[in-house]
Amino acid sequence: MTTATKTQNARLNDEVGQGKATTVRTTFSRQTAVSIEIKSDAAIVWALLTKASDYPRWNSTVTSIEGNIALSETIKLKSILDAKRTFKLKVKEFEPSKKLVWGGGQGNRIYTITNSGNGIVTFSMTEKIGGLMFPMYAKMIPSFDRSFEQFAGDLKKESETIMSAK
Amino acid sequence: MTVEILNQEFENNLAQLKSYLVRITASATDAEDIAQDTYLKATEKLDTFRGESSLKTWFFTIASNLAKDNLRAQKRWVENVTDITRAAALSHQEFFQEAMHIRSTSPNGQYEAKEHIAFCFTCISKSLPLEQQLSVFLKEVYEFKVSEITTILDTTEAMVKYYLHTGRSKMISIFEGRCALINKKGVCDQCSELNGIFNPKQNTQEELMKIELVKEAEKGNKEHLFDLRMQILKEIDPFKSKASELQLHHLEHNRKVMEKYLEKKAE
Repeated sequence: MTTATKTQNARLNDEVGQGKATTVRTTFSRQTAVSIEIKSDAAIVWALLTKASDYPRWNSTVTSIEGNIALSETIKLKSILDAKRTFKLKVKEFEPSKKLVWGGGQGNRIYTITNSGNGIVTFSMTEKIGGLMFPMYAKMIPSFDRSFEQFAGDLKKESETIMSAK
Repeated sequence: MTVEILNQEFENNLAQLKSYLVRITASATDAEDIAQDTYLKATEKLDTFRGESSLKTWFFTIASNLAKDNLRAQKRWVENVTDITRAAALSHQEFFQEAMHIRSTSPNGQYEAKEHIAFCFTCISKSLPLEQQLSVFLKEVYEFKVSEITTILDTTEAMVKYYLHTGRSKMISIFEGRCALINKKGVCDQCSELNGIFNPKQNTQEELMKIELVKEAEKGNKEHLFDLRMQILKEIDPFKSKASELQLHHLEHNRKVMEKYLEKKAE
């Protein structure tokens, strides 16, 4: 690991739980991560993450998701990052209230929910894209930082609103 | 707990129970059957009732479980159910003949826009996922607490809150897009249209303005409008109201139309 990468990883660790996205770049890959603390129940966060048709209501980064978010299912996702494109993604891991992974040819998106105690859960989202051809198209892929922060912020707001209802 | 107390409590809660059942099943016959089965099951299991919840919560738990067995096997309806059923009614002359007969002969055959608003909610709520639909009715219409709904639906408090929030949000969004009573651009004005057919001498606009939901519509507070809509449902007994026979006839028609529609769609 290079010194620059070590520094980036240290920064990433410092910002865990704050909802600030960090991106670590190497020659052949790019990894963006965000982590945020949510005062809610893991089941609520999980329900929001896995109900495809409900995404546009609470998540300002997702235009639509078609399909069923369940293990081995394929979903079609449209995001604000590229409004014209539909991403076909396969659900690769599905561990209720803990971990969800979906991905396509370029990389995987990993969602994790961990119980931090005192009615707080930590939600993390990571996506690594790359491969040998990565340097050829790296500059054409927009930064994920902003949309990751929006995603995590929206999830926190919606989960906490639901949890605080009487 | 004695059978006498159970009988008395069942009698006290029967109207609300049947009201809930007809609204979640969209079938008066199913509602009657499930209410009977609920009573039988309650008497059978009386010795297992520990008093950890009220008898009312216990009756609703049994009834919900019986209804869910049926409802899980059925497909959910669609948001534009009223468009589909309207088109079917217009091409089915007998529907209006029967409705007009009820209107002119039954003491429970009056037409009131308010009752149609409640009926409309029943139909559209069947497009929600089942748990969301049940949670919304239990909390917003039958005034159960979240902790009681947790017992009735045998789930966690967190999930009940999730079902309530998402169900309520979805219904608000559907009515905002469809209901001409609260949004001038809304595509559905069947309650006014039917008032013109069943009460031709009335000034429909005047009648509608008597309804709090319509009066408050211009202020545009969606959450408040939803609460007013729920207030209408609370005030109406779908089996005993002045319009009950007419609305149950309409509901039976819609149920049959939707069953055929969903069957065809699945082919």
